[in-house]
Amino acid sequence: MTDEELMRAVCNGEQFAYQTIVKQHLTSISHYAFRILGNQKDSEDITQETFLKLWINAEKWQPEKAKLSTWLHRIAHNLCIDYLRKHGSIQTLENIEEGEDSIENLRDWQESHEISETRTQQDQILKNAINNLPENQRSALALCHYSGFSHKDAAAIMNVSVKALESAITRAKRSLRKQLRDTNNNKGEDTTASSPHM
Amino acid sequence: MKLENFLQVIEVYGADSARWPENLREDLEAFLSKNQSVRALLSEYSQLEQSLDKIAIPDFPGLETRVLNQALPLRQQSLTVKLISWLVPTEKFGANLWRSAIAACLPLVFGIVLGNYYSFGISSEVDEYDYWEDELAMIALTDISESEV
Repeated sequence: MTDEELMRAVCNGEQFAYQTIVKQHLTSISHYAFRILGNQKDSEDITQETFLKLWINAEKWQPEKAKLSTWLHRIAHNLCIDYLRKHGSIQTLENIEEGEDSIENLRDWQESHEISETRTQQDQILKNAINNLPENQRSALALCHYSGFSHKDAAAIMNVSVKALESAITRAKRSLRKQLRDTNNNKGEDTTASSPHM
Repeated sequence: MKLENFLQVIEVYGADSARWPENLREDLEAFLSKNQSVRALLSEYSQLEQSLDKIAIPDFPGLETRVLNQALPLRQQSLTVKLISWLVPTEKFGANLWRSAIAACLPLVFGIVLGNYYSFGISSEVDEYDYWEDELAMIALTDISESEV
């Protein structure tokens, strides 16, 4: 069934269509929420609310204006923004008690993939750097780098111009590159000596 | 091509040349091949993107069940929407085509029933005689009366 058929069925109150859409989009929505919010518990809440809003507002989706995945990410994005405005800043895995299990899961995953200590440290630094980015830069990075949206769709999700989105990506990458470079310099691994200074 | 332009492209579109805009790719690759420091810069961004890809997302055990089982409010449907959805069901479309067929036959059945009970002002002389024999008798009487006259 196409997205249009599924959404028409949702409008008719048919739960099988809702279930199909949930199964198709759950992973991308939950991962997006996690990349914006930085913790598992809130990401799950936002994901659940996103699909509840899909059920309630199904008639509002206009297939000629946006793909279903774009529309769903826009709902999730708006919910994340509301959450961040309400709670001030993001609460990462490291500072939320409920996330203990998730940290364990992550550590297990890392051990099973034999990630070196240095690598893990660098990943952690990068993760913290991403969490410290302004929300719009984090969203732009999550949508374009991780979720693979086109700049046009990502801009529509964030409700900004394509130019503003590209500016946010540029700033995000410059900031992350600087953080990685500083980390490497601090470790005495000056791998960027030959690169031009920007 | 300036370094600033090159940098802007790799920041916006990524270090993978396959993602660069078609109209700029040739210039970018030419600029890249001429400049050692630009290649180092590209390598740095490539490394950054690889590091970004390696950041793991934890599993969300039970989330699908939670979302599927959440209480959904009842959706209010208009009579028209209900009728259309009954006539053209979205699930198992082929199996429920009989609904459309029945709906299409309804005007025909209605016409037959109506035609059987109402004459719509069309009168027939046949109704005046119960049997054809009566009609013959009446014709015969007419002939007699005419001959007597």
